[in-house]
Amino acid sequence: MPGKTPDKEPVENGGYRGGKDMTEKDLKSKAKKASKKEAEDEVKVVVPVLKASKQPSVPPPNDAEGDVAMDELDKTAEGEVKVDPVLQTVSDIRSNFALLDRAVALFDARFSLRALRSISSIRKRLTPDILAQAISETYSSSSASAHAAKQMLVAVGRPDVSLGRQTGPEMEIDSEPKAACKNGVKKETKEIIPEIDVFLGILTQVLLHDSKQIQQGLEFSQYLVERIRSLNRRTLDSLSAKVYFYYSLFAEQIAPLPPSPQSPIVSIRPTLLAALRTAVLRKDVDTQASVIVLLLRNYLLTSHISQADLLVSHTQFPENAANNQVARFLYYLGRTRAIQLRYTEAHEHLTAATRKAPSSACALGFSQTATKLLMVVELLMGDIPDRATFRQPNMETALRPYFLLVQAVRVGNLEDFEAIIAEHADTFRRDGTYTLILRLRQNVIRTGIRMMSLSYSRISLRDICIRLHLGSEESAEYIVAKAIRDGVIEATLDRERGFMKSKEVGDVYATREPGEAFHDRIRACLALHDESVKAMRFPMNQHRLELKSAQEAREREREMAKEIQEGDLDEDDLGGEFEGM
Amino acid sequence: MAQRELTNLVSHLKSASSTLSYEETTGLLSRAKLLLLQLNALTPATTTDPALLALARDVYEQGALASIRAKNPDAFTRYVSQLRPFYELAGQARQLSASGGERNKVTGLYLLLLLTQGLYGEFHSELEALATREGGNGGMADVEGDRYLGYPIRLERWLMEGSYDRVWKAMKKGEVPCEEFGVFSEILTSQIRSEIASSSERAYPSLPLSSTKSLLFLESEGAVVEFARSRGWTIKDGQIYFPSAQETGEEEAEKPMSQMVIENTLGYARQLETIV
Repeated sequence: MPGKTPDKEPVENGGYRGGKDMTEKDLKSKAKKASKKEAEDEVKVVVPVLKASKQPSVPPPNDAEGDVAMDELDKTAEGEVKVDPVLQTVSDIRSNFALLDRAVALFDARFSLRALRSISSIRKRLTPDILAQAISETYSSSSASAHAAKQMLVAVGRPDVSLGRQTGPEMEIDSEPKAACKNGVKKETKEIIPEIDVFLGILTQVLLHDSKQIQQGLEFSQYLVERIRSLNRRTLDSLSAKVYFYYSLFAEQIAPLPPSPQSPIVSIRPTLLAALRTAVLRKDVDTQASVIVLLLRNYLLTSHISQADLLVSHTQFPENAANNQVARFLYYLGRTRAIQLRYTEAHEHLTAATRKAPSSACALGFSQTATKLLMVVELLMGDIPDRATFRQPNMETALRPYFLLVQAVRVGNLEDFEAIIAEHADTFRRDGTYTLILRLRQNVIRTGIRMMSLSYSRISLRDICIRLHLGSEESAEYIVAKAIRDGVIEATLDRERGFMKSKEVGDVYATREPGEAFHDRIRACLALHDESVKAMRFPMNQHRLELKSAQEAREREREMAKEIQEGDLDEDDLGGEFEGM
Repeated sequence: MAQRELTNLVSHLKSASSTLSYEETTGLLSRAKLLLLQLNALTPATTTDPALLALARDVYEQGALASIRAKNPDAFTRYVSQLRPFYELAGQARQLSASGGERNKVTGLYLLLLLTQGLYGEFHSELEALATREGGNGGMADVEGDRYLGYPIRLERWLMEGSYDRVWKAMKKGEVPCEEFGVFSEILTSQIRSEIASSSERAYPSLPLSSTKSLLFLESEGAVVEFARSRGWTIKDGQIYFPSAQETGEEEAEKPMSQMVIENTLGYARQLETIV
């Protein structure tokens, strides 16, 4: 796949690009590592009573076995996921805090991205109780961000859970872990960094969204956005991008749904625009990319095409944005261009969008939507989409109406075309392609004319009129004349005798067409190469390591040279001896 | 008090719209706008009184229609953009949208204006907005069925297809929804005439004068001769011959082709060098 770093940002519906299994594996091993570390700590502090507990992070008594126990621990950790999902989830959540800590300490966004990526695996297991437990374990009632924590608890509907070690009544599902939790709290109460705040906030948003508490979600998001704006920390960038994403998602789903101008999405525009301004000033690429995409989506939902166009022309989409954001941006841009009849540009953007879309199943919706739009644009440009596109197993059913449409256009049958539009009008309208498809009418007629000019060397206007179901012979004449002018067919008209005479079709290979097609492909390949070079990651200070190893190598070489020298002598000696023998 | 005066003014504008001259209308309109300013309703806000909003909207609508009658597209575009926020608010106060208003008429006129100016991109953007606007109650069929909105949409479709005879008929036979739409007929006629002319140049080797008259919807053969002269066509023995311009064009295109190939190949070589 052409693109930036392969493992960057989670996609809309919670997947990743670059393959799900890999990341999950990644995650598991991470969780394991984290729990190992915790376990080690606990062994030092905790009294023997604890060791009997079922807590997965606590190893079996292992004074003697030492290293062996570590291996066993892995097994138990995996084995007990099923037994105690609540605790596993809580510890999963908490394991991310370490990542966030490191992100802040090392000032490396990669760690926070990794934490964000784990959301989708946590998401499936998230319940209000789990989240409330995680929150209450994280914050002590005296910490500075206790207020934030309280807000989150209210949002998840567990306002009675107290912070700190007194876990609420809900927590008593399992009495043993309480003690373990205390230890966790002891370690981390020192200082809760805002990144953890926001991370838990995002989890709250996810939870509210999944449980369809849209109104609360919007209110909480508003609060969270306010909070983010008051904090000025570069390490928050990727997290805040996510917060804005959910913020606008909530706004979209509230009562007067988008097409109506009273939808709440109109009222969040100022906030988003302000966020964009701030992000640009701070060179916050993540937020910038995601807010531009959100704004575009926002405008398109209310059909403010010209505003969307202005936004695109007045902002610059960050070049090194996450791949998923680029894909989305290209899709919305393609959509705007298609509406504005700039089909060539639209085609370019949409092709790029479909190619950049994650290939895994988690973003199927996006690829389907983009493909649908791409097809309509291709049809509008007079091309016929590739048949193979319709055969992809995960697209076949979704693309069915479009398949029929393409068939009608390909044959140039106006009657079929009208019938299909009438039959699938609702589908097309839902996909937002209806108005575009209506424009296809002229293409159908043109294809019809082209078919006829290819099959007949001479045909009367009357026949054309009958076959294409045009209103009158006069219309047919005008339409054919226009088609000739636009270069759709090579033909001449004879007015007195009322027929169309086709010219001989020239040899395509005599034109510059093949050369242009070749050039296009080469250019695409070269661009791909350039992009992959740009996408490579060069870790900081790596060159120093290389220098060091080079130096070592040189030393080794010198040593070797010395040895060889000595060896040479030996050899000589040996040789001498051999000679002597 | 100002409101009452405004109401009188608006009703006067409405009733006498066809008899007043443009200058008189603009005079009245600027007075109305001053009153609106006093009432703090020149630009709409959610807090403005719905009745006042309706009045303000009426003022702008009358202004838009008057500027169309005076063939002043710039003023009309200005009024349309001033009206837009009113229409967006209209959905909020239900009674406002119910109490008449000439939204469809104005929008239809605007669409037609875009069409005659050849701004197809804007035309379709506007259309997209219409589709979602009506999406709530009945969908696109409503838009096409509407007397004012359907007209420009149909015209656009015919223009794109090339059924110029239908466009012609639509403009002729009293099918124009109202007199303001008729203003555009003249522009549209000359537009389709030049379209037909440019496609005829390519499509026919020659045309008899008599049938050209009907083809171009011209009144007399004299007009045909005049038109032919303006396009640079030659007339011989009652036949029109079109100048074949494309042959000279192709010769020229040939030369940069070899140059282009060389350029491309050099480019590939350079790129390959950086890769290897």
